[in-house]
Amino acid sequence: MTETLAADPTTVTAPKGRKPRRGRRRLRLWVPSGILAGMLAAAYLAPLPYDPAEPLPDTLAAPDGEHWMGTDKFGIDVFSRLVASAGVDIPLALAGMLISLVVGVLLGLAALHRGPWGERVVRALDVFQAFPLLVLAIALVALMGNNIENVVVAIAIINVPRFVRLVRSEGLTIRESRYVEAAHAIGATGPRVMFRHVLPNMTGIILAQASLAVAHSIVVIASLSFLGIGINAADASWGAMIQTGAQNMTTGQWWVSVFPGLAIFLTVLCFNAISDELQDSFGRARQR
Amino acid sequence: MRVLGYARRRVLFLPVGLLSVVVLAFLLVNALPGNPVGVIAGPAAGPEELAEIERRLGLDRPLWERFVDYLGGLVRGDLGSSYYTDRPILSEILRFAPATLELVILSLIVAAVLGVGLGTLGAYHKGRLADRGSRFVVTTFQSIPDFFLALLLIYLCFYLAGWAPAPVGRLGLMDEPPPAVTGALLVDSLIAGDMTVFRSAVAHSMLPVLTLGIYYSAYFARSTYASLVPALESKQVEFARACGLPERTVLAYAFRQARTPILTYGGILLAALLGGAAIIETIFSWGGFGEWAIDSILQLDMPAVQGFILAAGLGTLLAFTALDILVAVLDPRVRYD
Repeated sequence: MTETLAADPTTVTAPKGRKPRRGRRRLRLWVPSGILAGMLAAAYLAPLPYDPAEPLPDTLAAPDGEHWMGTDKFGIDVFSRLVASAGVDIPLALAGMLISLVVGVLLGLAALHRGPWGERVVRALDVFQAFPLLVLAIALVALMGNNIENVVVAIAIINVPRFVRLVRSEGLTIRESRYVEAAHAIGATGPRVMFRHVLPNMTGIILAQASLAVAHSIVVIASLSFLGIGINAADASWGAMIQTGAQNMTTGQWWVSVFPGLAIFLTVLCFNAISDELQDSFGRARQR
Repeated sequence: MRVLGYARRRVLFLPVGLLSVVVLAFLLVNALPGNPVGVIAGPAAGPEELAEIERRLGLDRPLWERFVDYLGGLVRGDLGSSYYTDRPILSEILRFAPATLELVILSLIVAAVLGVGLGTLGAYHKGRLADRGSRFVVTTFQSIPDFFLALLLIYLCFYLAGWAPAPVGRLGLMDEPPPAVTGALLVDSLIAGDMTVFRSAVAHSMLPVLTLGIYYSAYFARSTYASLVPALESKQVEFARACGLPERTVLAYAFRQARTPILTYGGILLAALLGGAAIIETIFSWGGFGEWAIDSILQLDMPAVQGFILAAGLGTLLAFTALDILVAVLDPRVRYD
């Protein structure tokens, strides 16, 4: 009984009775997901034309049939390294997001408790979020130690507030709905109401935020490795690749930086598109 | 009058906010695991050397003692001095801040003009081709990492087209900087009446300003769109149209309703850019506050990191307070409590 009620109000899905539109919607969700899955699959499974860490004799070769995206100043094949980097950058961002998702959702649900503390937590997070997050990430990694695990921790920390705020603000409306009242009335415990009745009604919007968080994390990870922080310079990473080619941009060898830059752009674009789509179908009327 | 009361309450809150920023700055630097002593001494240092450095930097004393010391120093305007250069942090901040402020303010102006323009275009032609076009542009702007955009612009405008000077800093290598009055080169060169330096400073700020302007215009465009669409569908606008007012006036009415969220975004971005421009400053060798912060963080120069967090926090606090008061003045719908 409560289950069917729970699926009903507040979160309204796409308007009913518009089949073709829904089909297009689904396409807009699956195309970016497919691109991302393809990138990951290529990073782990596809045979690379060259070793992504092995310098070749011809340095700074322009893109041609031999080297599809040219080589960098060390003579490393840009295409091979770019594909290999997808297997580093995307999983790191996903891992960081997952940690912040779990922590953020739990904290957000906790902040829903009536009383002054919920409001205070949100105020504190406001201050925290106003701080330049990239610099905070740099500081966290530099202070905790320069390695990949700490990059994930830093990504997780800077992304927690967005989930706390989202869960709290969505939960404030859901908390007032009839089915939550009903669940309380038949004697369901607090945690049960939260996890069985409140949380399931915001999964869509949380997923949208999660996708946005991954997009943001990809950029932060790239910025960190661009500055030479966190990821070991020898490991493949898009940000480090752009750094390798940064000097060449002023002398005309654009391919070293531009291809990894486009890879970041495409990845971020896909995660943003997924987020927009999820928000359109699950969210109430909000920003486009 | 109610606005004045509200403003007074906000200003009275400032010391409380400042204290929390101070505590945050102290804790973030002192309570996180990390070993500046080891980094300063280098890998070859023996235990006696490490202990000596620890004593010299005062890191062997308990946490609360250091905090009391730090607070005492703050009251006297002493933020400590750099582990490496021994320069007082306060003068370092004052030396680097004007360059960043100049960059941030110019970028915000570009971002606001570009973003509000794009957002208005989309909102006014909602559902039509122009809407989709502006949406496409905004999504593109938002998905390009800013440091990559900077490099792209350097390649296109400096290497290919030759419009912009090389990314070597705020002035060319040959230019003589004007006598420092405000620290902001554009202002100082005008005060000195030196037009060659002024032109050079404008040319050198072109690309970094454009980079940040384009990147952050996406935020303005989104918030403009989100607040202008409901405003354009409101009763007032419908009535204005029915009265036969010209479209330009109708749009101006809609803007009066929509300006609060746009302004809010401006304030948030101003605060975020104070340190958020760091990576762009690094690329263009801007010599600003953010670049100094990144260098200090990487060297684990704790007093400098502390000073940066304090200054950035203070900037954020002031920006938000000023913003809230401004919004309260402009928007009668805001409740003053």
